[in-house]
Amino acid sequence: MMLADYLRLERALTGTKIVCAEGDCGACSVLRAFPLSGSLFLPINSCVIRVAQLDGSSIVTVDGLRDGKLTPIQDAIVRCHGSQCGYCTPGFVITLTGLVEKRLRSDASRARLEPKEIKNALTGNLCRCTGYQPIVEAAVSVPLSECVSLEERFFPKTRQTELRKILKTPLALASPEPGGFSLHAPTRLADAARLLARDPDARLIGAGTDLGVLHNKGKSGGGTRFVSLHLIPELYRIRRSGRGRLWVGARVTLSELRTALKNRIPEFARFLDLFASPQIKNVATLIGNVGNASPIADTPPFLLVARATVRLLGPKGGRSVPLEEFYLGYRQTAARRGELILAIEFDLPSASERLALYKVSQRKDLDISGVNAAFRVKKGARGTQAIQEIRIAMGGVAAVPLRLRKTESFLAGKALDPETARQALEILQSEINPISDLRGSAAYRRVLAENLFLRFAREQSGESRP
Amino acid sequence: MNEPHTSARTHVTGESEFVDDRPATRGELFVELVLSAHAHARIKAIDPSKALRHPGVAAVFTAGDFHSNLWGTIFKDQPLLAEQVTAYHGEPVALVAAESREAARAGRSLVEIDYEPLPALLSIAAARTANSFIAPAREIARGDAKVAFLAAPRRLEGRIVIRGADHFYLENQASIAYPREDGQIEVHSSSQHPTETQHVVAHALGLSYKDVVCIVKRLGGGFGGKESQAAPFAAYAALVASKLGRPARVILSKDDDMVITGKRNPFENLYKVGFDHEGRLLSLEVELYSDGGAYADLSTSIMERAMLHCDNAYFIPNVRIRGQVCRTNFHPHTAFRGFGGPKGVATIERIIEEVAHAVGRDPLEIRKLNCYAPEGPRAVTPYGQTVRNNCLPKLLDRLARDSDYAARRARIRRHNEESLSGSDSRTLRGLSLVPVKFGISFTTRFLNQANALVLVHRDGSIQVSTGATEMGQGVNAKLARLVARELGLPRDHVRIMPTATDKNANTSPTAASSGADLNGAAAVLATRKIKARLSELAVSLLEIPESRWARHTAGLGTEPEIQVGPVAINEEDPNFGADWETGVASYHGMRFENGSVFAANSPKRHLSFAALVNEAYHHRISLSEHAHYRIPGLSFNKLTGQGDAFLYYTQGAALSEVSVNLDTGELKVLCARILMDLGRPVNSGIDLGQVTGAFIQGMGWVTTEKLHYNARGALLSHAPSTYKIPSIQDTPRDFQVELLPNNDSRASLNGMKAVGEPPLLLALSVWTAAHDALKSLEAYRRTYPRLELPATQEELLRGIFPEKFRHWEIRPGAGK
Repeated sequence: MMLADYLRLERALTGTKIVCAEGDCGACSVLRAFPLSGSLFLPINSCVIRVAQLDGSSIVTVDGLRDGKLTPIQDAIVRCHGSQCGYCTPGFVITLTGLVEKRLRSDASRARLEPKEIKNALTGNLCRCTGYQPIVEAAVSVPLSECVSLEERFFPKTRQTELRKILKTPLALASPEPGGFSLHAPTRLADAARLLARDPDARLIGAGTDLGVLHNKGKSGGGTRFVSLHLIPELYRIRRSGRGRLWVGARVTLSELRTALKNRIPEFARFLDLFASPQIKNVATLIGNVGNASPIADTPPFLLVARATVRLLGPKGGRSVPLEEFYLGYRQTAARRGELILAIEFDLPSASERLALYKVSQRKDLDISGVNAAFRVKKGARGTQAIQEIRIAMGGVAAVPLRLRKTESFLAGKALDPETARQALEILQSEINPISDLRGSAAYRRVLAENLFLRFAREQSGESRP
Repeated sequence: MNEPHTSARTHVTGESEFVDDRPATRGELFVELVLSAHAHARIKAIDPSKALRHPGVAAVFTAGDFHSNLWGTIFKDQPLLAEQVTAYHGEPVALVAAESREAARAGRSLVEIDYEPLPALLSIAAARTANSFIAPAREIARGDAKVAFLAAPRRLEGRIVIRGADHFYLENQASIAYPREDGQIEVHSSSQHPTETQHVVAHALGLSYKDVVCIVKRLGGGFGGKESQAAPFAAYAALVASKLGRPARVILSKDDDMVITGKRNPFENLYKVGFDHEGRLLSLEVELYSDGGAYADLSTSIMERAMLHCDNAYFIPNVRIRGQVCRTNFHPHTAFRGFGGPKGVATIERIIEEVAHAVGRDPLEIRKLNCYAPEGPRAVTPYGQTVRNNCLPKLLDRLARDSDYAARRARIRRHNEESLSGSDSRTLRGLSLVPVKFGISFTTRFLNQANALVLVHRDGSIQVSTGATEMGQGVNAKLARLVARELGLPRDHVRIMPTATDKNANTSPTAASSGADLNGAAAVLATRKIKARLSELAVSLLEIPESRWARHTAGLGTEPEIQVGPVAINEEDPNFGADWETGVASYHGMRFENGSVFAANSPKRHLSFAALVNEAYHHRISLSEHAHYRIPGLSFNKLTGQGDAFLYYTQGAALSEVSVNLDTGELKVLCARILMDLGRPVNSGIDLGQVTGAFIQGMGWVTTEKLHYNARGALLSHAPSTYKIPSIQDTPRDFQVELLPNNDSRASLNGMKAVGEPPLLLALSVWTAAHDALKSLEAYRRTYPRLELPATQEELLRGIFPEKFRHWEIRPGAGK
């Protein structure tokens, strides 16, 4: 059962609303504290997360905030006409409460929230009535000094101790009827491998945001038997591995990844800002984005040019597969039955390299890409214009995220002058094979692929200008 | 006055109760719908047996289970459940009622339907070729447009493609029906039109209207999508409740909602315009073709409003506007904020921009040149109504001045020249300033009426019931303020009750932006009837010592009863007898202020409102009233296309500055400035919220909101993952809304003006600004960049690189 359904149907806590049931509107937002990842009261979508996945979490809903008087955030929304029909409002209140909580914990020096951080926090909350402006005005007017921390209100030491105990206990849930729901969460990696070996058809569930959508929409493929890795502490790690490589564990969320890469790969961190909603990024993992094998997933183009390898663990032990070989076809991967993705490793681009990442979607934020692209280029010795090495990858132009090897080898050793670019484009167009769908026609994707390449080429030559 | 929405506090705490928040009652059933898998097909057989065997499924119902299966607001042409033929993909065919939602969902996939596919009409062009129309074409004409066109020094012809849009109210369609004793049904619905919902339910079940009560507490957004189209879902819940004697809940998922319900009507309009070398419009011929979808719904009225708005702010001496609704095999398209207005205004605004481009002048000059005059023959619309209280020239001038139009224009020209000469900037900028004149009144005369019930309780608190439904627009805040103001009370002494058909019958939908105007006038009239009686009583009371007042004496009957005379209220004119400044009427020289009642000429002698009310009760003076209000002076004849169609016009203007990325077609609205004439607002905070929200909603329609259908007529974009309404990041960086002071509109109650729809049309300035940006490309030196609406990124990129798109479209497999 999804958390939102549980709240509304089982607990009659109807302040949390369900609108889209696919994690795209934010009306169902609740706040989640999960000590294992160190996150305290981050907004998540309750419509696409199962109650069972919240083992070890503490949840605050809009109904829980009620204590006879309005919080400063609620009061501001009332004052500034930040609510009209009211259906999205609880979600906005919750997300803003999460933002204030973050601010209270990190930077209590400023007295107000800034419009930019408000907008970034609310990217995953849709409102159809207000035009958002009154909500931003309301949030800006919130006096932070009068806000009470949720940690203080809802997360006493006793509760934290209780949760930590839960987090050390493996979880085994199984409904008695055959084919019914089950979820196992071991605390050790070896146990996870054993569980999957015993039941290779069980689905490995990360955030499960896609599986949740399949379930809510009555589609097949969602599965009923799950193994979750959320109790395995080591999978929450991000660490250097070998020379200039980064190891990202299976439980690292996109939000955590963004924080970790903010200084190390700023291009990728910025790219992550345009990608999905904060609510989704607070639960969804990098591994999920990769393992899902969508042709239009947003991280694979970067990972392809960063020479990513997928670390798999199966009944016969571990192995590594280069990401390029991991994608076999539309939504098909090289992971074998019973194998789980442990981590992804990829290059940290060096100072002598340039990284350019592009994403084009019909709406700038919180939209699935029409085309995305990654370029990683290493210039020759100082003073030369020639490209020493280049890697190019694109999404949305074929059945899988694609590395453009022919274009790369054509460009290697050449300077990116207009004629070279023109010839490279011909090769590029021969390597891709986009389809028409509701995110764009094939022609549109081809023109985009071309323009993104030209933009990259322009930015290249721009940079090499004295 | 700027006070919060009446439900603001319960909205932010999550206490506000929407239909699906109602607690489950014992025995309640969940209902799911079985939807047609074809755009057009004969239904040969429906086999529910597998579904019925599924655990938890209580019943499956089909068309034959209704007493009457046909409904429709204007024409009764739509089946509640498809019977022999299904006419669109996603049309409801059967209902599955079950003990749980899971069982209902499982059950619906087990109902087997045998179809025989039939050819489907999946475009306006296909419908026109097949002569598939809903109702005859209509016409509005003045002068001889054909001759004037031929005689005009300059001429242009073109076609404009306007696509649909989904309402995307956050609360999906929702109804719960409770069976009540003696065959009655109580239905709670998220409906903008409780009366029609009541009637549809009654017809569907063969009940008389007295046996059906429809209650609407609030809607989580409507925008027109729940004006007519809420009714069938109430009928489904009511059918299950009535057949099985158990409460039944119909709550749509967003996907089902988007697939089943109609959208903003797509239009394809053909135009011929004649003008002189300065850009003065001489003739306009427009043929409007709308896609009505499979059933009539409100499409003919929507077409009518589109035709009535093809002039927008401009005087055109010779006009011929012809409108025809096409019948296709899509969901029945329906009301959506602005009704047809946006489609008419989009057409003329595109024409204005194109004329300006043709004569080489700034579009703003062309707008001013053609703007309606304050009086005389150039103030008369094609349908013969004079534009009174015309603020249009003032709006254009003031907004152009306040937003530095000329300086912006120069800056943009420089920016674009630099971008195109190979600078680092890869964006083009565009600018447009668009006026809007939106007619206020239902164009169907009989809808322009409302009634209100006002109950004064003995503690001096008040309940008000009207036909207005609260869907976020703040009508309740306005009604409460109007009644409180009339009685000199704080607003929280007044509670606006859920809209219910057993308190207010024969009401009109809360639509056409008219909710506060119509119901506000009725509520004030009812309040004044009580106020007049109380005033007369107060005069008598203040003349006698308090010890002789009824509260001390009535129990023993020691004093004679005070009687008051009949009340004379002019129900035609809500401003009759009222002070223009305060909006408040006085009777018998008494004033109601700050909870007290006193004689205007001796304010020292006063009594409290609550005491007066208590006295009135003891003197057996009625403390309840009902009033009816009708808009006077409407004379529009639909067949001749002439007459006064509107009580007044709400007007406004918007400036939008956009940037278009030359590589991706990405559009950003850098700046939006709005100046709006809303007369004298009852609550300026709520009105500004309407303007801001409508503009952003309109911006979605003209930019990112594109509906995708496959070749079989199935909607593919039926959720926010695929249908992109504006997010908070899409709001203009510089966004300012101001109201134009206007004390001179005396047509409606105390000079207030309707606000719900008009500002949506202002977002057309974003669309015309996008055209303006592309105009600076070499390719458009002689032609005009005719973009579709919405101008999506793909559409814009196609506009920037038409030859590249042609190249890949001709050889889609190229490069394989």
